[in-house]
Amino acid sequence: MCDTCGCGKPEGFTIHYPKHTHEHEHTHENGNTHTHAHDHEHEHEHDHTNEPDHKHSHEKVINLNIDILTQNNIIAGMNRRFFEGRKVLCLNMVSSPGSGKTTLLEETISSLIPSRKIYVIEGDQQTQIDAGRIEKAGAPAIQINTGSGCHLDANMIESALKKLDMEANSILFIENVGNLVCPAMFDLGEYKRVLVISVTEGDDKPLKYPKMFETSHLCIINKSDLLPHVDFRTDEFIKNARLVNHNLEFITVSAKTGEGMNLWYDWIL
Amino acid sequence: MHEFSLAGEVIKLARDEAEKHNALTVSEITIEVGNFSGVEAEAFESALGLLSEDSILEKARLNIVRIKGKGICPACYKEFEMDQRMDTCPECNLFPSEIKGGNEFRVVSLMIEEQ
Repeated sequence: MCDTCGCGKPEGFTIHYPKHTHEHEHTHENGNTHTHAHDHEHEHEHDHTNEPDHKHSHEKVINLNIDILTQNNIIAGMNRRFFEGRKVLCLNMVSSPGSGKTTLLEETISSLIPSRKIYVIEGDQQTQIDAGRIEKAGAPAIQINTGSGCHLDANMIESALKKLDMEANSILFIENVGNLVCPAMFDLGEYKRVLVISVTEGDDKPLKYPKMFETSHLCIINKSDLLPHVDFRTDEFIKNARLVNHNLEFITVSAKTGEGMNLWYDWIL
Repeated sequence: MHEFSLAGEVIKLARDEAEKHNALTVSEITIEVGNFSGVEAEAFESALGLLSEDSILEKARLNIVRIKGKGICPACYKEFEMDQRMDTCPECNLFPSEIKGGNEFRVVSLMIEEQ
């Protein structure tokens, strides 16, 4: 689906290989202009409904009881089967903007790449900055630009997977759009959801954004090197998060200094 | 504003069902929105209003049924209604150990006009 205007056309998001910046910028601009050609077929139907004959038409109730995210969930299921078939560990990394996800991934890639092949799908509204950073760190990356969309969905991941020729037994990190609200609703087919929080955020975040905490498996508390300078109370944060999800695991790290990063690598492997 | 993409999904769903039943138009659509679903009902309504122009739902009445959250108390095991995710059991004042409802976001029914 298109996330810019919901018109149902797939062009709402664009997929880039970070190395070919200039070529793809043009497609990106084009991709964001939506013509609603497909909608016009319905105009005829509506013309007819204005005709007086239709006073004699019959009304009928169709009971559906169908989840509105069904289509997304079906594609997410297909993605999950694909990962299982290739023994790919897929982690969906979610957070608010500025939590340090990309830095965490850069460090993770340079530490794990000798032992495992790693791929990254980057989601941002605009730019290919993050995919460029990831490729520099040594992992093939695909950038998805969601336009004005606030989250990645399973369909975008399916499209990106076709461009990433992934080896078996590898790891795929999906760096979701920085947003603690919308990505919580969309299953991408990941094995586990990893929530990255930085200590510069409030320790009441779990109470304010419960859905994201409820749907995650691991919470990484990042930027631990800043703890002496901020009011963040780790115990209070964990207590609040456990009220929403008592199965949530926690690892405190500093992607910058490397503190705690081994615990994160142990969790992955 | 994921409500826009969700409204787009609803229009697609309605269009497919209407085609299946050879409907002339959809006159009413009923949607359940749980208060823990992550969907803001007002934002969804505005988004659907904007996007349904020239679609099968253009003339459809939108009937939103709000579903309250339900939690299970870890002490008395009774089910209690929840307005907010951090509501506690009215008798024991404890946070729920299990959420039983409120995550609904589904199309319940369509009323179509057929020839």
